[in-house]
Amino acid sequence: MSDDRVITTTIPEFFGGRNLYAQRKPASFELEITARCNSNCRHCYINLPADDAAARSKELSLEEIDSLAGQAVELGAVWCLLTGGEPLLRHDFEEIYLLLKRKGLLVSLFTNATLINEHHIRLFGKYPPREIEITVYGVTEATVRRVMRRPGMFKAFERGLGLLTSNRIPFRLKAMALRSNLHELREIAAYCRQRTKDYYHFDPLLHLRYDGNPLRNEEIRSERLTAQEIVQLEEMDPERMEAMIAQCDEFITAHAAGENCRHLFHCGAGTNSFLIGHDGRFRLCSSLNEPSCQYDLRTGTLAEAWHVHIPRVRALESQNPEFLEKCRGCQIANLCLWCPAHAHLEHGALDSWSDYFCEVAHARAEMLKRKANY
Amino acid sequence: MSPTLDTVYRHSEDVISRFVEGELLIIPLVAGIGDMENDIFSMDETGKEIWTRLNGEKSAAVIIQELEEVFHAAPDVIRADVLGLLDELARRRLIIAVEKPV
Repeated sequence: MSDDRVITTTIPEFFGGRNLYAQRKPASFELEITARCNSNCRHCYINLPADDAAARSKELSLEEIDSLAGQAVELGAVWCLLTGGEPLLRHDFEEIYLLLKRKGLLVSLFTNATLINEHHIRLFGKYPPREIEITVYGVTEATVRRVMRRPGMFKAFERGLGLLTSNRIPFRLKAMALRSNLHELREIAAYCRQRTKDYYHFDPLLHLRYDGNPLRNEEIRSERLTAQEIVQLEEMDPERMEAMIAQCDEFITAHAAGENCRHLFHCGAGTNSFLIGHDGRFRLCSSLNEPSCQYDLRTGTLAEAWHVHIPRVRALESQNPEFLEKCRGCQIANLCLWCPAHAHLEHGALDSWSDYFCEVAHARAEMLKRKANY
Repeated sequence: MSPTLDTVYRHSEDVISRFVEGELLIIPLVAGIGDMENDIFSMDETGKEIWTRLNGEKSAAVIIQELEEVFHAAPDVIRADVLGLLDELARRRLIIAVEKPV
């Protein structure tokens, strides 16, 4: 008999302590319950109009979500991130949320906060999410309107945030660094740091559309900051700089991690997590939309996707000598947005590369070497 | 109220318990149990044996008797362990005492 009784733990402690992260076990999954959104953000990789009937008709039904969540629990998943599109657009959001909780999943939510109402507050008050993460696009009506391209969104966002705050429901704030809000990023950072429950971070790296829409992709490219602008923003953020310098040896490695290796996937996609798309397509990660890398859960099972499909995808190799030389021999790959998924979004091939990603990675490496006296 | 040998418990409907990789996880469903972001609950082997017997029908005395056969430990040790764990589980609102019919 042991003296230990009830042990409180966290998901990372539980999986890390049992070495499960090294064993390709599905700790978590993203559930993309819609591609529709009430906003029309210029940089967004997925958003479709809120009233898009075709998009709605493809969405997983409540019954399908119930079945897939049950299969995820059978596989051992403990944590589910509800994402979209805007998840709160689903009229059956509460049913989805509660069925996931009642299956013994910890549930997190990504939202733009503009649709949060008293009903959601009561729901989250009684059945708390693991966390709520909200992206801030601006702190003035003009900037928010420029990014989200819908009137009244800043007011709606502040109303949602106010409801969460006054009801003591914690949330984390983050930002996207875009051409359209670059002039306001200092104010956005200050706004977020004042209100976020723990930390604030911004993301300056934009990837392209999942649907490949050429007009929307042009808009995304026009929102991308230059490599120098990204580096300047990072240098102005002391917490980010401190973290980057502390991890300098991981960002600038003595040897290229993929040297002499033809395998495309060196990331963690499909190792401890997966994604269920709004249309029932299984993906190793959010960005991996290459058709042959997806698996249709409407005609198959999650167990087959996890046990058969993922190993097949992760075994894919490149036969492109230019790619192998340029990217596989790169010692700053960990500073780069490159991955097979983003390569496919950029140029339609998993083993292509992006000159823009390359410029950003090299500018970041130079800055890091300077800062860390490398 | 501390558990007695006659007390019968069941799992609270405010938590969900699951076995993941052979480990028992107790996951809070509602506010006020743990802090949601960090707290899931787990138990050692003894705890698992006790938890799976808390079905709203077995008294603490019955559970102790069954565990004596599983662990072959001194009855006093098992009794103290079971009553101690039941007390802790009840304080954490993970189990609920079942009312006896009048």
